[in-house]
Amino acid sequence: MRIVVLTKPVPDPASGGERLGPDGRLDRANSPAVVNGNDEYVLEKALKLVEAAGEGEVVLLTMAPANAPETMRKALAMGATSGVLVTDPAIEGSDTVATTRILAAALKTLEFDLVFAGVDTSDGTSGLVAPGVAVLTGLPYLSYAATIEPDTNARTVRVRRITADGYDVLEAPLPALISGTQALGEPRYPSLKGIMAARSKEITTIGLSDLGIDPATVGLAGATTKVVGSQPPEPRAATRVVREAPDEAARQVVALLAERRII
Amino acid sequence: MPPVTTASRAPGPFRLTDEHEMLRDAVRVLADERVAPRAAEIDKTGEFPEDMRRLLADHDILALPFPTEHGGLGGELLSICLAVEQLSRACATTGLILAVQELGSLPITIAGTAEQQARWFPKLASGEHLIAFALTEAEAGSDAAAARTTARRDGDDYVIDGSKRFISQGSVADLVVAFAVTKPEAPRHERLSAFVVEVPTDGFAVSRVEHKMGIRGSPTAELAFTNMRVSTANRLGEEGSGWDIAMRTLDRSRPGIAAQAVGLAQGALEVATAYARERKQFGQRIGDFQQIGAMLADMDAQTEAARQLLYKACVEIDAGAPDASRWSAMCKLVAGDTAMRVTTDAVQVLGGYGYIDEFPVERMMRDAKITQLYEGTQQIQRLVIARSLLGKGG
Amino acid sequence: MAGIWVHGEIAGDGSLAKLSTEVATLARAIAADTGGAEVVGIVIGSKPSTSADELARFVPKVLTVTEPTTADHAAGMIVAQRLAALIEAHQPDIVMTGAGPEGRDLAGALSALTGWGVLANATGLTGSPDGPVATHSVFGGKLLTESALSVGKGIVTVRPNSVTAEPADSAGTVEDATASGDLAQPTVPVVERLPAESKAASIDDARIIVAGGRGVGGPDGFGLIEELAAALGGAVGATRAAVDSGWIPYSQQIGQTGKIVKPQLYLAMGISGAIQHKVGMQTASTIVAVNRDPDAPIADFADMIVIGDLVEVGNAILAELRERKS
Repeated sequence: MRIVVLTKPVPDPASGGERLGPDGRLDRANSPAVVNGNDEYVLEKALKLVEAAGEGEVVLLTMAPANAPETMRKALAMGATSGVLVTDPAIEGSDTVATTRILAAALKTLEFDLVFAGVDTSDGTSGLVAPGVAVLTGLPYLSYAATIEPDTNARTVRVRRITADGYDVLEAPLPALISGTQALGEPRYPSLKGIMAARSKEITTIGLSDLGIDPATVGLAGATTKVVGSQPPEPRAATRVVREAPDEAARQVVALLAERRII
Repeated sequence: MPPVTTASRAPGPFRLTDEHEMLRDAVRVLADERVAPRAAEIDKTGEFPEDMRRLLADHDILALPFPTEHGGLGGELLSICLAVEQLSRACATTGLILAVQELGSLPITIAGTAEQQARWFPKLASGEHLIAFALTEAEAGSDAAAARTTARRDGDDYVIDGSKRFISQGSVADLVVAFAVTKPEAPRHERLSAFVVEVPTDGFAVSRVEHKMGIRGSPTAELAFTNMRVSTANRLGEEGSGWDIAMRTLDRSRPGIAAQAVGLAQGALEVATAYARERKQFGQRIGDFQQIGAMLADMDAQTEAARQLLYKACVEIDAGAPDASRWSAMCKLVAGDTAMRVTTDAVQVLGGYGYIDEFPVERMMRDAKITQLYEGTQQIQRLVIARSLLGKGG
Repeated sequence: MAGIWVHGEIAGDGSLAKLSTEVATLARAIAADTGGAEVVGIVIGSKPSTSADELARFVPKVLTVTEPTTADHAAGMIVAQRLAALIEAHQPDIVMTGAGPEGRDLAGALSALTGWGVLANATGLTGSPDGPVATHSVFGGKLLTESALSVGKGIVTVRPNSVTAEPADSAGTVEDATASGDLAQPTVPVVERLPAESKAASIDDARIIVAGGRGVGGPDGFGLIEELAAALGGAVGATRAAVDSGWIPYSQQIGQTGKIVKPQLYLAMGISGAIQHKVGMQTASTIVAVNRDPDAPIADFADMIVIGDLVEVGNAILAELRERKS
């Protein structure tokens, strides 16, 4: 079983080190990066499925600046087999349309039974790339997965999709593209063995020319959206600290809610 | 031209790679969650923590120093030290388990044949076997070359007689690397040979286990060898190469002790800082008083300096620096003194609470002292460094 | 701008999703800004009429497409293809959807089908002669950015609770439309529907959320949180710590790997306010925290923090609310 996992290095939300470039977009090359949180859940699921099957490979597919291999190392240390990095200076500043095109083109060069993606990323939270890639590759699309159960004999996969009312159980033939959530299960901490083994795992690098994509149609030049302004948010008023006994404190809370017409 | 002492074998900006950080974090999580809760009890009972040894084995931490072809992880010196540092932050005894596993196996790495390595490394890497390094004797401490244990060739064996003192983990090891005199009349540094003793064996006895100030969970043993037979197949390197093996071992193992020291200092700093944030006297938290703040600042700066020197030393030694001895001695010298100073100051910051076992800093202070003593006293470290600077006398 | 389309999302019970009424309200506002662009609602489903009638309260005209396959197949991809066909036929400039899971699936597929760009997760939208300008909150709330479409045509996804839904002065018309043709993308059948483990009210567009964190101490502790939510007419939320400990299902989780919410009131009980959670709720209009620790990070960005035991304070708030009612 071969599972490709779309992973994206995102600015480390805990570090506060995100920087905007002069174009108003995130300066990825200079912001400390980690693997996107949701990607770790689908990666963990992929690793578990391959382990349960006793055979198979998990391949990372990432579109990122050239320094991305370092962030991919953690995913490799968790147990992924190898990585494919699509990188090209012209990609910088790409919007979701370009990202989707590039990832779809890269997927067409790979063989797989399943493609996993996180439902969204912590740096854009758009949730648009996975369905877009499904369209451009013509893969069946199963989203917001809480469970993923492939049947390699029948060449199908079943997914419990999270809905507002509960779950829809979806079924599709392989190969299929699935976007997954935290409900899939806690990602493992890389073992020491995995960490040390990651250094010898292969990351193949490909550029836009390998994919037959014209640089002028992606990146900032080809962007369908543009940032026209930015400002810090309105500062909140100073926090009211209430130290009184519970009864008095409760009175103050409810008074605030009434004052703001919440109740 | 005098050597340029700032020349580096590993030039370029030094930073921990993502892999180093992952490894450090993985061990830190383990240390916080599984080791730290046991530290006080290990110190109190003075029993060797078998469960900690199993924990390190299960998580492949003991596999770090060994080559991959024998089931190890092929970790370089910096990786090993990162692990020792994180473990020692929680429990110096547990950190020592890894440090001694490295120390004891270095002679085999340095001088063992491929066959010998294949014989012993797999079970050391898996943590099934522990190994100890037996050089020191009652009358041969700093002057280790004055060792009196003898090894007399008899057919395919050597017969070893003598005793060793202050051997870390000597009473729990499955393998003991023992240094004995094979050529009494040879020049000082050509008298000794190194042997791997597979324990238990006839003539090997643990005659005593010390009661110590600190690292109480690590058994420090006196070993007695009486007509103990060891096969020539267990001798490491040529006869007479023992001293050289020992010195080259210490050049690579001293950073492990420095790592233990840095870990101790960091652990103490964290306890003291947390305390200074919470404890209030005279209406404010004590950390806001200048005398306390200044102490904490010095503790932090010194710990960081010792850490950076340690990491740099590891990189230089692994890069084959010709003055590896100097790097090794420097990092251990600085880290050991730092650990003693920082843990002592941590007790001071906690005041009366620092003196009782309700807080771990009194244990950390007791644990820290040994880092100024073993694997060469601070005085020996200075000797090594001075010799490196000045060259041999004319 | 010539045509602004609003996608009407059909909820599980056939009614119109609340988020769509907010999107529709926003669409009318920017149409007004730009002097009379035509606002049209689009509802595509197996039984679209209930939703269409509701959406017609908010926009002057609604087009419905009856698409039987959405009854028992994953709808997003199907709706996207039908919508793309309608776009081809009628040539609107802007298509607006909600930024919930259904809306994002739709918008992502539609973007790939049409090649249109997307202004994603807008928390605000203004009209201009060159097209809409969307406001976004990025970097965990540290920065607000404004973005626009490069060619004036595109898709906008709108965050829940960005505006308050307001019906139009008079109801609009509902017309059938056809969008036929082959569905080129694979259709994925729904083989079974399962209820949620808990009957918890959805937090996605809740006006009021009472959330519990590690300080709640256990699943029983969430009983108090539920009572508070009920008393305030809100939904129950939780931090990742509470979900990971198994005290409450993932569907209620708020934060970086959970949901991002923008309620009018976020009442945080025993929540430290670490960054992973903060990014999920910091744009709430009013944040009230109850915590034992005055140095908890949430104290930096809450409107009010009560230092105290969450059980005592929680019960006191319940008592105070009951008294007000009587």
